[in-house]
Amino acid sequence: MGGIPSSYIVNRLITLVLTVWIAATLIWIIPRLSPVDPAEVMLGRMAAGGAFVEGSDLILEQLRERFGLNEPLWVQYLLYLRSIITFDFGLSAASFPTPVSSLIAQALPWTIGLMLLSVIITFIIGNALGAFMVWERTPRVWKVVIPSLMIFTAIPPILSGLLLMYVFAVQLRALPLTGAYGLTVEPGWTMEFALSVVEHGTLPALSIILVTFGFWTLGMRGLMITVQGEDYVNLAKAKGLKPRYILYKYMVRNAILPQVTAFALKIGLLVSGQILVERIFSYNGMGKLLYDAILDQDFAVIQGVSFIIILMTAISVFIVDLIYPLIDPRIRQATERTA
Amino acid sequence: MTHLKASLLAGTAFAVALTGAVAAQDVPREDTVIFDIDRTIRDPENFNPFTPGVKRQHGAHQTMWEPLFILNYESGEIEPWLATSFESNDAQDEWTVTLRDGVTWSDGETFDADDVIFSINMALENEGLSEREPATIRAQVASVEKVDDLTVTFSLNSSNPRFILENFANRIFGSFLIMPEHVWSQAGDPATFAFNPPIGTGPYTMTSMATNRAIWDRNDDWWGAASGFMDLPEPMRVIFLESGGEENRAQLLVSNQMDAAQAVTLGTFEAMGFQNPNVIAWFNDLPYAWPDPCARQMEFNTTVAPWDNADMRRAVAMLIDRNQIVNVAYEGTTQPSRTMFVQYGAMDPFIDAVDSAGHAFSASADVEAAQALIEGMGYTMGSDGIYELNGEELTANIHVNSASSEYTRTIDVIVEQLNRAGVNARAVPVENSVFWGEVLPLGGYEMSYSWLSCGSVNEPWASMNRYTNASIAPIGERAPGFNNTGRWDTDATAAYTAIVQDMGTMAVGDPAIPAMVAEAHGYLSAEVPFVPLVQAAKLLPFNTTYWTGWPTAENNYNHPAFWWGSAHQIIHNLEKAE
Repeated sequence: MGGIPSSYIVNRLITLVLTVWIAATLIWIIPRLSPVDPAEVMLGRMAAGGAFVEGSDLILEQLRERFGLNEPLWVQYLLYLRSIITFDFGLSAASFPTPVSSLIAQALPWTIGLMLLSVIITFIIGNALGAFMVWERTPRVWKVVIPSLMIFTAIPPILSGLLLMYVFAVQLRALPLTGAYGLTVEPGWTMEFALSVVEHGTLPALSIILVTFGFWTLGMRGLMITVQGEDYVNLAKAKGLKPRYILYKYMVRNAILPQVTAFALKIGLLVSGQILVERIFSYNGMGKLLYDAILDQDFAVIQGVSFIIILMTAISVFIVDLIYPLIDPRIRQATERTA
Repeated sequence: MTHLKASLLAGTAFAVALTGAVAAQDVPREDTVIFDIDRTIRDPENFNPFTPGVKRQHGAHQTMWEPLFILNYESGEIEPWLATSFESNDAQDEWTVTLRDGVTWSDGETFDADDVIFSINMALENEGLSEREPATIRAQVASVEKVDDLTVTFSLNSSNPRFILENFANRIFGSFLIMPEHVWSQAGDPATFAFNPPIGTGPYTMTSMATNRAIWDRNDDWWGAASGFMDLPEPMRVIFLESGGEENRAQLLVSNQMDAAQAVTLGTFEAMGFQNPNVIAWFNDLPYAWPDPCARQMEFNTTVAPWDNADMRRAVAMLIDRNQIVNVAYEGTTQPSRTMFVQYGAMDPFIDAVDSAGHAFSASADVEAAQALIEGMGYTMGSDGIYELNGEELTANIHVNSASSEYTRTIDVIVEQLNRAGVNARAVPVENSVFWGEVLPLGGYEMSYSWLSCGSVNEPWASMNRYTNASIAPIGERAPGFNNTGRWDTDATAAYTAIVQDMGTMAVGDPAIPAMVAEAHGYLSAEVPFVPLVQAAKLLPFNTTYWTGWPTAENNYNHPAFWWGSAHQIIHNLEKAE
């Protein structure tokens, strides 16, 4: 593949499988360390709702049977491994008997849409601002304005969300307050639905962008400072190359590599959504699914969502590992020497 | 209108024109009532009410499915709805229910005894129907028979004077719902049947479902209006919308985008009132909140020293200042509990009987009397202000569910009160599932915050029966039904049990019951297996901008829990604001 030795790809593939297996095993073990099982949690939920639970022992036994909790642990583990390979995470306890995979399938597109857009916009804006903070040709006023924008990064997303909500939804009535689309809009492949989604996604996306672009800006600034003093940059200047050309072709291109790695990790993590942002905007994505599952002690959903997050992160890292040698010839050469 | 909004609207109009997409029929805001739901509708395609999940409270059992009866929390009466009456044999193990004539399902099929028989038998034969209501039917009903098209007779496993109340009257949250035989008989496994599209007998039918909202539109052919039972409700459309949290609820009500919201804190409610004077609650002034059915209390594990001693338990009860809990932990939004019961109008005769007999709990503390009791047990006050006996400090570990600040704030106040009086108390916050899955049922606590006497709302037996010695599990084993988790098992328990069991065989409303309640409660007040604390506060804001007729303490046709099956009454009482 593009000159990458096959041993390199096989190594990375083994790392991917091992990572996913170990993580999947951990998320199976951790809930089982709890002294209570999902059946007891469901019974407790009925009791917490008030009044006496008639025939509670019988209910408990039936629920254990349904969840397969009466099987020996090793059988449960093997069944679990078999099921996650097919993305079958079992049935939700809180929305019984809905399969967890269908809950995830329902939530995932919303989160990917919201987060992908937010992360890409944030990546572009954040890195551009970081580069401009260091570039000597940046107007002085921008060198003051850009750092002061960093104040937004100190605001938790939930607060920025509430602030935006108050200004744009309550006071100006310009954007909707909650939901992923209009109250009476029917989901479907229509322009009305698409526009409604964009309208409803604007505030949640903005609240994420506002508080996260600083991460990229500061990271890029640090990298640019390092690159700025490199000999090849000085040589380029000495050769009389245009400053803008030096910025893009010499400085940004070299400084951006670690940012791309971080971006890949973010892509993997973005399936987990922004829990608090999704919650306050009633945006039913993965973050809110996870939030509700934690509240409900819905272990199957927690496991399913965690597994998807792990899988996406591991795959992202794997892809970056494959792309890296293509972006950076030094890595490709080192890989070839090792091979 | 801002440029942004104008462009978005223009864009939407253009898009609709472009694609020819037709939006759902528009119903004006003033004809729509919008309720809040506090949970996501995780499976909007599933309308099976016999399995867990948000499958009823999103409007289904408030608008589409109707109950046989509705309990009135204020009068204590069981009011007829799909059924007109009920009666039992003398042994109260056979109950006959008469159904209303002229009821039809929204698809035009007749609702009759066959639907009832089918639904009950389905619950009896399918253990996979795991919600509370079918499980209760399985535990109580032996068989059901059709007498005629409008009459059914239930044969019970044992005598139960509260059979209708417990199963068909919306006592708490919901009741057993009758399903259409002509639809469900075609389904395979009823535990996995999604019942989509759903039908019901109610005045609304399902129009659209999504994970965050449910839309129900009025069925102008509703049987109730046609038969003269009741006028059509005024709202043309009912929407249940997931608000997303307290801050959103507030914003939605303030901007008139919602008419009824789930509970909020006092601060939020007052802030809403400043911005929108049309926001009201159950009371006009403090405590504002309606008490939900599960009054708060503190359990003792009566097998753990020194709390195995009734005097020590009584001392703790006397050290607790309930007024302070109300003022500090609840900011004045609730009331101190006088007895083990929730303080609804229908419970007044029983609470008054306990009070008259001198067995009610005082709202304020009596620290001197409590300390005298503790010292009577041989404890002496140490130099650090904590009682000691044989060199050991008097300590109290209070388990509390950490899921809500309401719970932890209450226990923090109690810990402070006990510490000041010489008991080295500390709160032990426990995660929700461990609390309900292990701490309470297995008796893994010294003291714990709970609401385990929850059950009674119009008669006393349901709550009192939870503290008998009928089925006391050893510590470490599960207390059946979360009853008597503190394992109170003394001579007083036996005497208490005898009275409560007698009461259990008597008809609801028997005039002898209040005196029996007072006598039985005397044992509870003397031995204090748990300390009643305060009523549970639900501060539910209603918006009168578009709709009036909300339930309040003054307009108390029933309680304001609009996520319960009894909310049919709320919707029928709503009138357009002028």
